[in-house]
Amino acid sequence: MLSRRSMLAGAVSGGVAAVGGCLSDSSGRPDDNSSVSIALEDDPTADSWDTYGYVTPYFTKVVEPLIWATESMEPTPWLATGWEAVDETTWSVTLRENVSFHNGEEMTATDVVWSFERLFERGQFVSGWLHLEPENVVAVDEYTVEFTNTEPFPAFPGTIAHNMICVQHPDSTADDLGTIGTGPLTIEAVDRGSTVETSPFADYWQDGVEVPLSFEVIEDPSTRALSLESDDVDVIFNPPRNRVEPMRDDPSLSVLTQQSSRTMFLPCNLYRPPTDDARLRRALNYAVSQSELVDTVLEGIDDPARGPISPIVHWSAHDGLRTYDRDLDRARELVEQSDYDGEPLVLAVNASVVSGELIAEAVAGAFTEIGVETDITVVDPGSYNEYVQAGNAHLGLQTSGSNSAAADYIMFENFHSEGVSNAQLFEAEGTGVSNPGKAVDELIETAYQSRNAETTATAYRDAQHRLVEEAVCLPICHVVHVIAARTEIEGIDPHPIDKMVDWSDLSREER
Amino acid sequence: MISTNYLGYRLMSAAVVLVGVSVLTFGLIYLTPGDPAETILSQQTDQQPSQEAIEAFRAEHGLNEPIPHQYVNWVGDALQADLGQSYYSDRSVNGMIVQHAPATVELAIAAMAIALLIAIPTGVLSAVHRGGRLDVVCQFGALVGVSMPNFWLGYLLIIGFSLHLGLFPVSGSGGLAHLVLPAVTLGTGVAAIIARLVRTSMLAELDREYLDVTRAKGLSERIVVYKHAFRNALLPVITVVALQFGFVLNGAVVVEIVFQRPGLGTLLVDSIFARDYPVVQGVVLVTAVSFVLTNLLVDLSYRYLDPRIRLGGVGT
Repeated sequence: MLSRRSMLAGAVSGGVAAVGGCLSDSSGRPDDNSSVSIALEDDPTADSWDTYGYVTPYFTKVVEPLIWATESMEPTPWLATGWEAVDETTWSVTLRENVSFHNGEEMTATDVVWSFERLFERGQFVSGWLHLEPENVVAVDEYTVEFTNTEPFPAFPGTIAHNMICVQHPDSTADDLGTIGTGPLTIEAVDRGSTVETSPFADYWQDGVEVPLSFEVIEDPSTRALSLESDDVDVIFNPPRNRVEPMRDDPSLSVLTQQSSRTMFLPCNLYRPPTDDARLRRALNYAVSQSELVDTVLEGIDDPARGPISPIVHWSAHDGLRTYDRDLDRARELVEQSDYDGEPLVLAVNASVVSGELIAEAVAGAFTEIGVETDITVVDPGSYNEYVQAGNAHLGLQTSGSNSAAADYIMFENFHSEGVSNAQLFEAEGTGVSNPGKAVDELIETAYQSRNAETTATAYRDAQHRLVEEAVCLPICHVVHVIAARTEIEGIDPHPIDKMVDWSDLSREER
Repeated sequence: MISTNYLGYRLMSAAVVLVGVSVLTFGLIYLTPGDPAETILSQQTDQQPSQEAIEAFRAEHGLNEPIPHQYVNWVGDALQADLGQSYYSDRSVNGMIVQHAPATVELAIAAMAIALLIAIPTGVLSAVHRGGRLDVVCQFGALVGVSMPNFWLGYLLIIGFSLHLGLFPVSGSGGLAHLVLPAVTLGTGVAAIIARLVRTSMLAELDREYLDVTRAKGLSERIVVYKHAFRNALLPVITVVALQFGFVLNGAVVVEIVFQRPGLGTLLVDSIFARDYPVVQGVVLVTAVSFVLTNLLVDLSYRYLDPRIRLGGVGT
């Protein structure tokens, strides 16, 4: 029989052994020092490994699309060598030859058709998104696929330049290890809710990734930063803004930044008093200094915005737009002239916006200086769109950007009467929210429907000028992606779409 | 022995509670603003979906059906152990819960073990030294433990033990090393609550007359306190410890996010933000069922352990 003394001794020994075990496995890193671990904000294992998985194929480069987005957000050949419009609705896409799947078989047109058919299985929404029906993707010959849109859709090549619309081998399954793609990495192991281990694909059709990569999720930004600082991981995306400067000062870390397609702005409700008064909206614009907001709240990282479209988008009119440089006297004058009666403006903040509450408070402070009061309402991301689109707020605080080369929809969804931000009230009451009317609608339609790049750029430029002139929104900043890494990690090539970061030159120096 | 009548009564009341939970879970999420179709589609494509796409999504997932009809379908499937498919990933909710539950259960058990290791000696010492310096220190410690937010303590521990000392990994799961800091973070809050209860319970026992008898028999104070008073003082603590599992599950949400443990807490929060109704409903239901069952077991064991209760005496 065990005495109390021996039980106690056993417990103490067990405790010591347990702690010893803990200490011996404290880093959580693989023993193999050559693998590079990359911490993401979203779970790369959350979705299924099919053609269209949300975060899953992102970053990991296991599967690839036909078309890629350039650094100025234009479509460029990838698994396809080119595309051309056969008629108003039909596209002929030529495939790259000698592209191997991970199982060694060559990619052909039938594989592309199969991949799109599988994509449609994800839901009927895919048809609306791509303006395409499953039967309208046809293999013409071994290396040619024809796509027929349900209506004229010039943005189609840009829309499929999206790293979720990828090509897989028909033997692929949605299982963790069942994906057969063409990408520079293959899946080695998946630990659900945690990590995806990958290894380089030797027969990749161009220069591939040299080192095995491990992708893991660390949702909390502070924990992500601490994981990098404590050397638990090698690379992290989007550390908290207030940690970036200390990271720059840390000789063991390096920080990379990349302007994104995403803009943070406050759309105004043009159909609800008093923000239906352009004089008040201009006054609000004159009250705010984007540079100060960026320097103070955003730690100088993001770029002050003039309009709602990031300069990274090739048809952005950013440099030519007028500015509302901070002028409190002018702002107060305009408030006096406007119909503003002292009622607080409702400012809804999308809780997913980084530092959103701080920005909103700074903006509200600036408004107070010109005699305009503000009620700030933070709305969770799941409710924000519904809240704003129903016209409940005078101003919103949100970001808008593109994950594909077809950035056109940023204009359509936010400022066209039938864009999703405006459609509800436009159809119900003939108003909308942030759509300034027929003239801008026509410019957006001209740009959206034209196959001529110059026509598109001109129409979008004119539309942006009108949006800024009418102070339809209050631009804040163009969002900058931040990637931080251990200094021994070299060769990370960021992209305006953060998921398209290039890992092919990535290497680890000997410690 | 536990009577059949009592067992039947408790099972019935547990069933009523579960029906209430299911109605509330189902109803509340539908009262929450935010359209799952729009939220999920815009997350997946990183753009606002068209109205046609939203309508198609609603039709596919039966979101256009009347809510009572949706509820009946959901309950019917749940009774057959089918909690549906995630709107977001199309994966089975059952599978997702099975995949995430072990990390949470592991954390809850470890946190409770740490809590008991801290709380019982602290509570007993505090009671024995009532009014003394040790009592004041213990009570102050308990107050700090109750007041300290989990996420704040979590970051402090990470900075101290991971960043500076390099003893434990910052985040993740998979081994004992990954469990220590989250369990300490979660366990200290619970420890503070239990320690205060142990102290109160011990004080009540220490004032009982039967202890004078044991002392009069010449037993040492240590035997009096630890063998007689402590054993009787533990009984009310058992119930509270079981109830604290609810607190632990609640606290696990924050701790799992800070330490990036792939448990039910992170799954629930992600699903709420994504308006992934089937997953939210599934996780809440499973958590509620385990909570109700734990309470049922405690009630039954309580009657078994304390003869006064099943005889209809004190405490009934």
